[in-house]
Amino acid sequence: MQVLTPDYRRDLEIRRYPIYIYVLVPLASLVLQAWLPRLMGRYSYFDLPLLVTIYFALNRRSAIHGTLLGAVLGMAQDGLTQGAIGIHGIANTVCGFLAASIGVRIVVENNAIRMVLNFLLALLSSAIVVFITRGLLGLGLEWNWIDQVFKAVGNAVIGLVVFPLLDRTQIRD
Amino acid sequence: MESFFSRYRNLVVLLAALVLQVIGLAVQVRKPAAGAPISANSHETHDAKGVRLIRLWASDLVTPFERIIHGSREGATGFWGNYLDLRHTREENKQLQQTIDRLRLEQASLLEDARQGQRLQGLLNFRQSYIYDTVPAQVIGTSGSMQSRVIVLDKGADAGLKPDMAVITPDGIVGKVRDVFPHAAQVLVINDQTSGAGVILETTRIRGILRGNAAGQPQVINILADQRIQAGEKVLTAGGDQIFPRGLPVGVVEKVERDPDRGSFINVIIKPAANLQHLDEVLVITSLDAHLSPQQMADLKTSEELKGAEVAADAERKKAAAEMAERLPSLTDPNAPVDPNAKPGDGKTDTGAPLPATVPATPKPAPALHPDRFSPGGAVSAGGAGTETGNGDGVDGDVKLVAPRAVEPKTAPKKPQTANPNTAKPPVKKPPTAGRVQ
Repeated sequence: MQVLTPDYRRDLEIRRYPIYIYVLVPLASLVLQAWLPRLMGRYSYFDLPLLVTIYFALNRRSAIHGTLLGAVLGMAQDGLTQGAIGIHGIANTVCGFLAASIGVRIVVENNAIRMVLNFLLALLSSAIVVFITRGLLGLGLEWNWIDQVFKAVGNAVIGLVVFPLLDRTQIRD
Repeated sequence: MESFFSRYRNLVVLLAALVLQVIGLAVQVRKPAAGAPISANSHETHDAKGVRLIRLWASDLVTPFERIIHGSREGATGFWGNYLDLRHTREENKQLQQTIDRLRLEQASLLEDARQGQRLQGLLNFRQSYIYDTVPAQVIGTSGSMQSRVIVLDKGADAGLKPDMAVITPDGIVGKVRDVFPHAAQVLVINDQTSGAGVILETTRIRGILRGNAAGQPQVINILADQRIQAGEKVLTAGGDQIFPRGLPVGVVEKVERDPDRGSFINVIIKPAANLQHLDEVLVITSLDAHLSPQQMADLKTSEELKGAEVAADAERKKAAAEMAERLPSLTDPNAPVDPNAKPGDGKTDTGAPLPATVPATPKPAPALHPDRFSPGGAVSAGGAGTETGNGDGVDGDVKLVAPRAVEPKTAPKKPQTANPNTAKPPVKKPPTAGRVQ
């Protein structure tokens, strides 16, 4: 439990990044999310925009920031699909808000915590997408939960590599 | 009020974002007609202006980078390989090794170029033999979502692409154009759950709708269970959807699964003819009007000329036959005047009315000079009951024979009543000369 709770002021400080990081990283996540499946085919088990949303929400520790970033990235994701705009938008909005809310309560530098958070929030995102698609929109789409679990695992593993790289770009006082 | 918003501003922002997006979803989703089942295609096919704007922004944001990545992929691969190969080479062999590696890379690059050239040549040959107008395009991206099987092409409205155009490869169909932007276009692939194409199984001639499943496999749905459908059967486009021309290859039957929701229906899983996972170059059918090569035009003209000559000869034959029919009198002229002196039995009724022209005259044997019991109708039996042949009305030249009394039943069987009252006539009282041919 000691690991989870922040002990020092440093653990609760808001991380800041250069402005170009706020632009380039989300953009790169969208481009790679659209391009990598061409190479990996059906084995593209990841959701990079969600990963970026979670990262910035955790480290900025701002629920508003996480909410708006999730909404924008999710809607951009929807814009690349043939589905209704807002399906991924709502899912990423909720995940961004929750990640930021969790980020102010626990230590987010721990890799194990990051993995678990990424895994759980990816599953939650899939569940929200299913709820919106079937419950709100009434679309009779089939769903493969094994794929969603693989996607959550993929996000957790990729986060393990990408989050420390992004940590290096933060502005040091 | 101010303290409320400042205290709960996070929740307020979250709720505002969610409510706005839910309203946006409600605007986009079309309400199905009363009684109609809600299908996967119930959202608007053609987006509203605002939605289209978001799609355009997303596409413009991502497509240029995808184009750059796609274009520089080969170079980046070569650069990375070169870097890895040469980084730890000994200094004294560096120059030689660089030369060898450069040659290898050039060879690999040339080989890749040759393969691409062969692919493009195949595409060009297919395009030239194809009778529709097509535009070649390259696949530069995807939707990035497992629930949305969409690919992005590097051609858009500037190349003449429009929504609902068919996208194919020489191997088989790929999908249809969904959204078109100025320099890019989104294609809904046939293995998406919201796609739809009319298909027909080549051997069994069973028609169905092609649609993707959750695993990204195209399947033919809404088919009643049929034992004749076997793995390996070819599937073609049916041509009824106004998008795909008829007869294009779709794939082959991979397996047949029972529909979990409806027991009497099956889903036919298809192995697509085109490699949907790794698409490079595709053709977009921009016009379904026939686009024939000069040689095909010449063949068509020759065929039409031959067909015209054949039709003219046939018309000439019919005209000659009509003229011949006019010149030659017919054997039975219904308009001929009635001969009042005609004898009964020579094609006229007892009343002297002429027989209808359609009734053939029954051949009658010549009457015997000295009739005996063996002569037709020669059994002389005064007042004996006879056996009637024909319908007995005396109109159609019936022959009335009189049987010998020895074989005559005591009560002659009555003729069954004719159902048609017009043809039923009362029994005719036979004259004393019964036994003669009437």
